Amino acid sequence: MSRNQSLTSNVDWGLLIVFFLMLGMGVANVYSVAYNADHPNFFDFSQKYGKQILWIGFSLFLGIVVFLIDSDIYRKFAIPIYLFCLGMLVLVLFMPAVNGAHAWLGFGSLGIQPAEFAKIGTAIALGRYINSLNVNQQNVKTVILANIILLGPMILILMQPDAGSFVVFTSFLFVMYREGLTYDPIVLKLVNLIPGIKFKSTWVGSHFIPILFAVVFLSLVTLLMSNNVLTFEFWPGLEIPGFYGVLISLFLLALISYFILRWISSKRDRSKVTVIVLIGFIMAAGISTTVNVGFQGLAIHQKERIELFLGMREDPNGDDYNRNRAMAAVGSGGLTGKGYKNASLASVESNHVPESETDFIFCPLAEEWGFVGSLVIMFLFMFMLIRIITIAERQKSRFNRVYAYSVAMIIFYHFAINIGMNIGFAPVIGIPLPFFSYGGSSMMSFSVMMFILIKLDSQRNDVLS
Amino acid sequence: MNTDARRYVILIFFLVIGVIYSIRLFYMQVVDESWTLRAQEIAEKRHVVVPPRGIVKDRNGKKIVINKTYYNLMMCEKDIKHLDTVAFAKLIGWTPEKVKYRFKEIYYEEGFDKNPKTKVRNVPRYQKMRKYAFVKEMTPEEMAEIATSLGNFPGFSEEITSMRSYPYANAANILGYVSEVNGQEVEEDRFYRSGDNIGRAGLERFYETDLRGRKGVHYIVTSAMNNAIEPYANGKYDTTAKQGPVLNLSVDIDLQAYGEKLMVNKRGCIVAIEPSSGEILAMVSAPTFDPNLFVGKRATSQNYPRLLLDKDKPLYPRPLQAEYPPGSIFKLLQSVIALQEGAITVNTGFPCNKSLVGCHNHPSARNIMEAVQMSCNPYYYQAVRRIIQGGRKKGLYADAEEGLRIWSKYMQSFGLGHKLDTDIPGIRSGLIPDPNYYDNVFPSKKHPYGHHQWAFSTIRSISIGQGEVKVTPLQMANIASLIANRGWFYTPHFVKSIGKKGPLPIYIKKNYSMVKSQHFDPVIEGMRRVVNEAGGTARRARLEDIIICGKTGTAQNPQGEDHSVFIAFAPMNNPKIAISVYVENAGAGGQWAAPIASLMIEKYLKNKITDPEKEKRILEANLMNVVKKGK
Repeated sequence: MSRNQSLTSNVDWGLLIVFFLMLGMGVANVYSVAYNADHPNFFDFSQKYGKQILWIGFSLFLGIVVFLIDSDIYRKFAIPIYLFCLGMLVLVLFMPAVNGAHAWLGFGSLGIQPAEFAKIGTAIALGRYINSLNVNQQNVKTVILANIILLGPMILILMQPDAGSFVVFTSFLFVMYREGLTYDPIVLKLVNLIPGIKFKSTWVGSHFIPILFAVVFLSLVTLLMSNNVLTFEFWPGLEIPGFYGVLISLFLLALISYFILRWISSKRDRSKVTVIVLIGFIMAAGISTTVNVGFQGLAIHQKERIELFLGMREDPNGDDYNRNRAMAAVGSGGLTGKGYKNASLASVESNHVPESETDFIFCPLAEEWGFVGSLVIMFLFMFMLIRIITIAERQKSRFNRVYAYSVAMIIFYHFAINIGMNIGFAPVIGIPLPFFSYGGSSMMSFSVMMFILIKLDSQRNDVLS
Repeated sequence: MNTDARRYVILIFFLVIGVIYSIRLFYMQVVDESWTLRAQEIAEKRHVVVPPRGIVKDRNGKKIVINKTYYNLMMCEKDIKHLDTVAFAKLIGWTPEKVKYRFKEIYYEEGFDKNPKTKVRNVPRYQKMRKYAFVKEMTPEEMAEIATSLGNFPGFSEEITSMRSYPYANAANILGYVSEVNGQEVEEDRFYRSGDNIGRAGLERFYETDLRGRKGVHYIVTSAMNNAIEPYANGKYDTTAKQGPVLNLSVDIDLQAYGEKLMVNKRGCIVAIEPSSGEILAMVSAPTFDPNLFVGKRATSQNYPRLLLDKDKPLYPRPLQAEYPPGSIFKLLQSVIALQEGAITVNTGFPCNKSLVGCHNHPSARNIMEAVQMSCNPYYYQAVRRIIQGGRKKGLYADAEEGLRIWSKYMQSFGLGHKLDTDIPGIRSGLIPDPNYYDNVFPSKKHPYGHHQWAFSTIRSISIGQGEVKVTPLQMANIASLIANRGWFYTPHFVKSIGKKGPLPIYIKKNYSMVKSQHFDPVIEGMRRVVNEAGGTARRARLEDIIICGKTGTAQNPQGEDHSVFIAFAPMNNPKIAISVYVENAGAGGQWAAPIASLMIEKYLKNKITDPEKEKRILEANLMNVVKKGK
């Protein structure tokens, strides 16, 4: 059919442009943060920015290779690719530990992290499996099988151990949710064990994943804010305890969503909207209150353990109060920032924020470009994510859709956790910010992931399945 | 089941997180100020103010240690732009190589922290945005010379600092000096940071924790471009620097200066104590040096090695550390012990039997007063034999052991044989032999005399203050003080009060000796005769209107000419000053030590000298090159 069309036809230029924009901004940011006055050359390969350029070049080369390969190969070889990834994850466990984790495969300074590439393999395997199912074939067996595909790499990654990548793998649950492969059958079975109850479906079961995510997110934010006091520059003396801040924010959020939902919904649904928003707000406030009361009621040593886990207090081993320093760097950016190459906290040279070129790469961005720059980053990621969802929804093949959703969810997780880490909304678990963090593995894996998506999308009309 | 609508759930998730994060970012970056302040705190925009050290005053309230303003030329690498090394080196009078070297030196001086991950000490503490002293201790004149051109070199600025100054140029061995802390001291005491000063010797070291005061910390907020300085939170968290309290010394700086003048061209020392309080009035170590030589790193590095290598050892604090044989002044203590032990009575006489021990020609002493007056060696040989061989135990050796044990306890109670708790570092204990010493240590640890292998005849030279006995000049002065008080003393000390606090508690506790006070009276009468009557050995010390009680000593010195020793107190009935004078290689005590003590006493009690001839003789004397016997 259209196999003979040129390679660039049907390419989603919007996504590609955002991708390149992010790469450009990313490397410029690495140049700023790791700037070494003795080696001002942008292409100095002894410096991190020089190396990052090498990585980008290599990633783009891989991208071109991906473009030249027919996209059908991924579906066909899904199982071997997945097994190859698992093999790498097993192999890496026998490598010497770097910083306490067996995460690096390779020789000397040239190493890759198989966990980064396992995400692609898992996305392809999950796509292949879901593609093979009938649309409404949802039972306990299919749900468990899909979960096993996830659990394989997850367990191996936990053995490294790499908490960050482990958490990222839960993003596939959203993909399964989108495909209707939720925990509904399991929940149903459990509920129907109760005598006298015979449900056909449960609301909690089918929306289990987003509810769980919302609860976890809300709990985390409540915990992280519980020791804070909100102050306002324009109103000196006004001090709001962090917990009330969360409640007020929830209320404002409910109010905003109420008006938006009323505005977009039809007249018939308006009373429904009111009830949904009200129930949502009450439930969210209830969860937040429960978490807060429960946390405050804990014994001090239990509290300390949680605070330590979430990075809310200084590590007794003397490892620094990373999150606090990162937040100080972000918060000191102001409206327009301190200017390019002027980060006083987040620069590698000043060393106040550790890992500021990798896990805390958002710090120099926010410090140097202020709120304006931060907002640009938010918009770029939002645009990219929405673009990928749009692409996903126009796929004819279920394999392609699962893959696209996987890409969206993985990037979303990285984005949400990484930036959340920088603004005190997520615990400090080391995962990179896609296209911005310094490092070869994440740069290559995200680029390849993106190019496979664009390639699949460009050939979306070829596939009939 | 149609799951297409679920795309909106996911989309809403994205958007909600995006919106929440944006609001949070807006709050953190634009609304909330506290992160900016936290950032300032982290960037160590805190200014530590090091207060000037506490000053030191003498007993009459004269300032003898003060602080003078100096400048440091500070460097902040972040602000340096296109440094013209050659021009800058010319400005500060260095070579360009030295300027380059100095940058590296500062970097390494700061040291390294442990990397939390690898536990290797390789994370530099040096920060480009912090100020470091590039050139230290510039005088105001030096700074004024370069200040106008400093604007051409961004990144360099001036900072006020203070350093010690000694208006009297005296008492170097008492006051000590300050210098920069070393790395180990910074590790041990969090108070210090590199570049801070610490007391190195003397009172500066002993009272370091008082003198250094309290550091002040100012938290400063700067704009992103490092200007517009304002206090953080209106100075709510600032602490003000507090200068250390005034150290009020018991030393009379004029007397100290006079003593140092008298001791020019001599080796030895003078220690003067107020007996009624134990306060040290003067402590001269000769030769001495100007304490201003040790002000600042540059001066110290020039002068310290020179003084250290000087063959006359000006840095050696003789009054505290020189352990001399006391010579005949020891007879005073032998007298009171013999009286207390009942070995003799006041009217016991011994013939001057030169076959026992050598003596000069004089009539035999008929009582203790004459024995002191004439300093009869055979008298004390016989008296001390009665103490040691007191017949307390059967057998010659066992008896000698018991006798020496008792004798050494007496001596310990006079403040001998152990370190005095004087408020200055580096004190030595001297030596009072006890039975254990002869059993296990003397003449050598390998071949000691051994248990029950010695008796009085073996150790007889201790009876006249020779042989194994060693006493520091500070202890000698303390003996004079003890005798003046008829049997007790306050531990000698330099500091009368620290700010408003009185002296340390140990200095207001009387130390009683084991001898009853009445036994001191005949000895004191003997001491009066030494100075004031014909046949006394210290007639040169006599004053017309002040009764000085003293005792000369001529300490035999196998290495060269005898040492001249004299201890005294005055006035006889209401002692105001007790003194010891020790002049190395100067011969008989009456020759040099006694007149020096006399001049000191007169200077202190009357503040004038009635016999200029006596003073002239001392001032002109040069006893520096007299080392060998018989010149």
